[in-house]
Amino acid sequence: MTKRNAFMVLSSDDEDEKSSSKLKSFFCHSDSKGQKQPCFSVPRSRSCKQSRIADEFELFGEDFKEVFTGVKVSNGSGTGTRKELWADRYKPCTFEDLAVHKKKVDEVKAWFEQKIQVSKGNHDSNVLLITGPAGVGKSATVKVIASHLGAMLFEWSVPTPTIWQEHMYSSNTGMQYISKLDEFEIFVERIRNYGLVSPSITGRPLSPVILLIDDLPLTFSRIAYTRLKNSLHLLVRSACSPTVILITDTDHSDSANDTTRNFEELKSFLEEVGARKISFNPITSSSIKRTLSKVCKQERCHVTAEQLDLIAKASGGDIRQAIASLQLFSINKNVSTNPTLSDSAERKDGNPSGILFGRDETLSLFHALGKFLHNKRERESTDLLDEDTFPIRDKFSRLPLKMDSPEKVLCQAHGQARPITDFLHENVLDFIDGDAVDDACVVLSYLCDVDVLLAIHQKNFSKDSDTEKVLQSCAASIAVRGILFGNDHPAPPRWHSIRKPKLWQVEKAALHNKDKLLWQRDKFHHSSDLSVIATEYTPVHRQIQHKQPDIRSATSMENSGAAGDGDGDDDTSMETDAFDDDEIEDW
Amino acid sequence: MLWVDKYRPKSLDKMNVHEDIAENLKKLVSEQDCPHLLFYGPSGSGKKTLIMALLRQMFGSSSEKVKVENKAWKIDAGSRTIEIELTTLSSTNHVEMNPSDAGFQDRYIVQEIIKEMAKNRPLVDAKGKRGFKVLVLNEVDKLSREAQHSLRRTMEKYSSSCRLILCCNSSSKVTEAIRSRCLNVRVNAPKEDQIVNVLEFIGKKEGLQLPVGFAARIAEKSNRSLRRAILSFETCCVQQYPFTSNQAIPPMDWEEYVSEIVSDIMKEQSPKRLFQVRGKIYELLTNCIPPEIVLKRLLYELLRKLDDELKHEVCHWAAYYEHRMHLGQKAIFHLEAFIAKFMSIYKSFLIATFG
Amino acid sequence: MAPVLQSSQPWVEKYRPKQVKDVAHQDEVIRVLNNTLETADCPHMLFYGPPGTGKTTTALAIAHQLYGPELYKSRVLELNASDDRGINVVRTKIKDFASVAVASGQRQGGYPCPPYKIIVLDEADSMTEDAQNALRRTMETYSKITRFFFICNYISRIIEPLASRCAKFRFKPLPQEVMGSRISYICKEEGLNLDDEVLSTLSVISQGDLRRAITYLQGAARLYGSSISCKDLINVSGVIPPEASEALFFACKSGNFDLANKEVSNIIAEGYPVSQMLNQLLDMVVEADDISDEQKARICQKLAEADKCLIDGADEYLQLLDVTSNTMRALCNMPEDFTYEA
Repeated sequence: MTKRNAFMVLSSDDEDEKSSSKLKSFFCHSDSKGQKQPCFSVPRSRSCKQSRIADEFELFGEDFKEVFTGVKVSNGSGTGTRKELWADRYKPCTFEDLAVHKKKVDEVKAWFEQKIQVSKGNHDSNVLLITGPAGVGKSATVKVIASHLGAMLFEWSVPTPTIWQEHMYSSNTGMQYISKLDEFEIFVERIRNYGLVSPSITGRPLSPVILLIDDLPLTFSRIAYTRLKNSLHLLVRSACSPTVILITDTDHSDSANDTTRNFEELKSFLEEVGARKISFNPITSSSIKRTLSKVCKQERCHVTAEQLDLIAKASGGDIRQAIASLQLFSINKNVSTNPTLSDSAERKDGNPSGILFGRDETLSLFHALGKFLHNKRERESTDLLDEDTFPIRDKFSRLPLKMDSPEKVLCQAHGQARPITDFLHENVLDFIDGDAVDDACVVLSYLCDVDVLLAIHQKNFSKDSDTEKVLQSCAASIAVRGILFGNDHPAPPRWHSIRKPKLWQVEKAALHNKDKLLWQRDKFHHSSDLSVIATEYTPVHRQIQHKQPDIRSATSMENSGAAGDGDGDDDTSMETDAFDDDEIEDW
Repeated sequence: MLWVDKYRPKSLDKMNVHEDIAENLKKLVSEQDCPHLLFYGPSGSGKKTLIMALLRQMFGSSSEKVKVENKAWKIDAGSRTIEIELTTLSSTNHVEMNPSDAGFQDRYIVQEIIKEMAKNRPLVDAKGKRGFKVLVLNEVDKLSREAQHSLRRTMEKYSSSCRLILCCNSSSKVTEAIRSRCLNVRVNAPKEDQIVNVLEFIGKKEGLQLPVGFAARIAEKSNRSLRRAILSFETCCVQQYPFTSNQAIPPMDWEEYVSEIVSDIMKEQSPKRLFQVRGKIYELLTNCIPPEIVLKRLLYELLRKLDDELKHEVCHWAAYYEHRMHLGQKAIFHLEAFIAKFMSIYKSFLIATFG
Repeated sequence: MAPVLQSSQPWVEKYRPKQVKDVAHQDEVIRVLNNTLETADCPHMLFYGPPGTGKTTTALAIAHQLYGPELYKSRVLELNASDDRGINVVRTKIKDFASVAVASGQRQGGYPCPPYKIIVLDEADSMTEDAQNALRRTMETYSKITRFFFICNYISRIIEPLASRCAKFRFKPLPQEVMGSRISYICKEEGLNLDDEVLSTLSVISQGDLRRAITYLQGAARLYGSSISCKDLINVSGVIPPEASEALFFACKSGNFDLANKEVSNIIAEGYPVSQMLNQLLDMVVEADDISDEQKARICQKLAEADKCLIDGADEYLQLLDVTSNTMRALCNMPEDFTYEA
């Protein structure tokens, strides 16, 4: 997977996609390497998740046009090197090149080493699940490690059945349509039966073999999802060479769409059946900067440290994105007569003239939460001298925020009021100074207001979606601003992890216990009040039976019971670990 | 079987508290004319017991042969069909249920169930038995406004074929329209000496030796709830018998837990402590202790420990946040806000008093 | 089945006056209405006034007197459940009823039988504004063949366009004597023994609402038989006995929080409805001579807030405790704000 230029795909594939594959090639990660990569089936166009393709095409299509209208000339007459993507050219080949956190790399490497050494007669699962946002170097890491270990890397890939092909199929062109899911099932079946022995590589049986699955089929229906789950289960059980499955996290925590949720579920499912999970974090901006400056040096293009900084920040931890931005930026710079450099330097706070398009301006939820919770402010008020400012009592005045307006940040993070509130509630106490209990009181009273606001809609069942929207955004804004305002004495900056609200777990457990109480009521205490059963009968039963009045033992027992049948509770802790320390602080 | 159930009087003649109400109910039934009834009174005052005894008085022992049914109701609500599952308890002559279990769909269930009961009502048989069924609805104060309205309409429509017995804790949460259509029966909490009598009666039946003043102490701690008193009595007996006169009367485990929380927050007022307390409250909520009861208990414990000048303010905020809790969705927000408020008040009070 | 139905008929229905002239105490209204009845030509009408003063009775009596028992069913539509009257009901039910034409006026069996229908809308003030607006159109469309009788407690909640189309009749609250005589009449009919003290208690607790008084009376008679005491009445009515409310008020005056708390707990344990307690507390505070206006204002404001909270479903104990503590602070002139700043 290194040196086949993505443009080549174009020629081998159908023409209908011409324009789009150009785009793809522009921003897509990696692709293909001739010699080592026997594809398991028909030539592929590329691997990318269909749903995302559609979105991103649109988005990038715009950017693309925007940029290239100005660059047309240079694009045509560009030198040979320019044709290649920097993101491909500077694909990491050694550990030093990898921008991924060393700890994570070591973790993955250790896993591989262990698996390769004892791959025979080892009963643990041979499947490793790597998750993380796009462009954090998941596949790069695997590839570097593979080449380091001298292992052969096989990638499962299928031709992406495009929408067009699907259409052709349905309009009876006679083309055999095999869904990706079918392919995957066949593949897993083959792996199970014959192992990874493919005729083309039998010549070199000595080197260890690593299988990489970067591109799980998307599933839209429940049935398809179950099928996928089954084959994955088979795979996890029966894989005899180390197998890596990559799943890209999507930022949108609202999980409104099925696919995202399915992936979330898959993750926990894979873990359940025994796959090891390692999750990657967005790459820190300092690390991105380092890589970028390395690239700059080699390309001999001059970019100032500030610009690198901006690019790195805008990329949101996506190194592929950062390199692409850099390439685009340098193209643009060469062409445009007036250097955007000074421009962007001047407008430090503004959007640097549209060149550095970050990841379509989205922020991860965690990122946004971090901003709110840390509540960073300027040292001194700038508009003190401004005559227009409304006089406020000292008690209520706050220094200006060191961020965009909270509503904008919210919007970028796609935050919905309820989860945002829950997250803030869970975490905010950590960020308040140890003595400032008054602040805690103010903050919590705002959250309490938000809860009331959010309940209004629930209780009225009004179908008026406009009011709901207004309520939602008001509530979110009150939550965020309430926290920013209330936390007048933030705790000294310190490493904090952002936890998933424990409340969700509590609610689930409470529901579970309520069912139990209901059952108990039907059985023993006919039609008594539930609260009476909870507060009187149950404790008495406990006291009489155990003679050991201790609610804690009882709760923890019930807690674990509830956690057991709820899915993904362990996932919670994993996710929280994921966002440790520097990431948050770095933002 | 717990003593509460074992010694629950089965008939109106055997009531050991509320004899007067029992007497009146008997008169009511004998007149062949039973209006709709609304029983209200605090928890543990004996409403349920009275109702069950009343049913027995009306229908004889057949009212005790009940079966528990988990029934699914399909209800046509205009554009869509709603399915609701609800557990009912029924004998040949009566049906008993907690319509508030159906959550916000309660209004449908009330209508539907009464309609169905009215449809297959028992006919008057030769012996002149009553030709109506009785529907016992518990916790009517928890019904939504809409459900109460629909209950009222249904009451009028089907009053010829069934009689309603409603049961609730606070009658101010039942609409005037319903109250005025029912005969209201207030069941007050028994006085402490009445509780003592019942406890002594049970003690005698169980053949227990009660030290002087022991029953009185249990009664005092019961907050005038007879059920609570009998439950603690049994717990005491299980934990230590023979009784000693100074034997501790164990509070419910969650109450103990709440008092732990209170001493936590009196000791230290900081965000960190608040966070620890949150964990404890989560445990209470996980065990389905209703948040308003947690809040009330918190207040109770705080009032015991505070100086007079703080009490007013604390009880004000307790009322404030309890109200907000009903407006909002997630009780923890409000409980915690109350505790934070208290911490803030208490801290500034400490600073003002002790510098 | 029959006996059950018979005896369970509410006295309110049983003793409802059948003729307009029998309606108690509303002399002017009756005079005007009698004229209309004679000519059998009535306008749209709006009856308003406190509950239990005879509004519904009058409306129904007019209808009965106009049509007699036979035609009554086909000519009169009664709608009285407040929530059954969304905008759709107004549009369909009323329309359907109103649009069927009636035979021209011929006297039948001694009743005038005017050539229009009557729609009685009870509790009209709880209709939504939309529904009222929709009604206005309907009224215009069918004004030739229908008459609307609106009945409400608060005329201010009827939209102006509707109100202006109607002849308005205000019903006065019933004074004690009128109520007393009516109650005595019922007692005689039902064979009950009530002494004067009980009678006056009844009119006090029913606050000029005759319907409520009769309901209480019937309830008490059912529970306690033919001889009824003041205590029985109070028990049935849900009114809190004066001793209990006075004890609470006294506790407020004492300035002792724990004492007040005990009284509050007691009231809850006795099962008295707190909303009722608030009403009685309000009466006591408003009538008290030894409280300054400022203090009264402070107390009343809190009472209002607590009442709202109770409607929202807040806990009775906590609200009453809050009210009590506030009352105590007002009565003992403690500062309104809580401040502990040194």
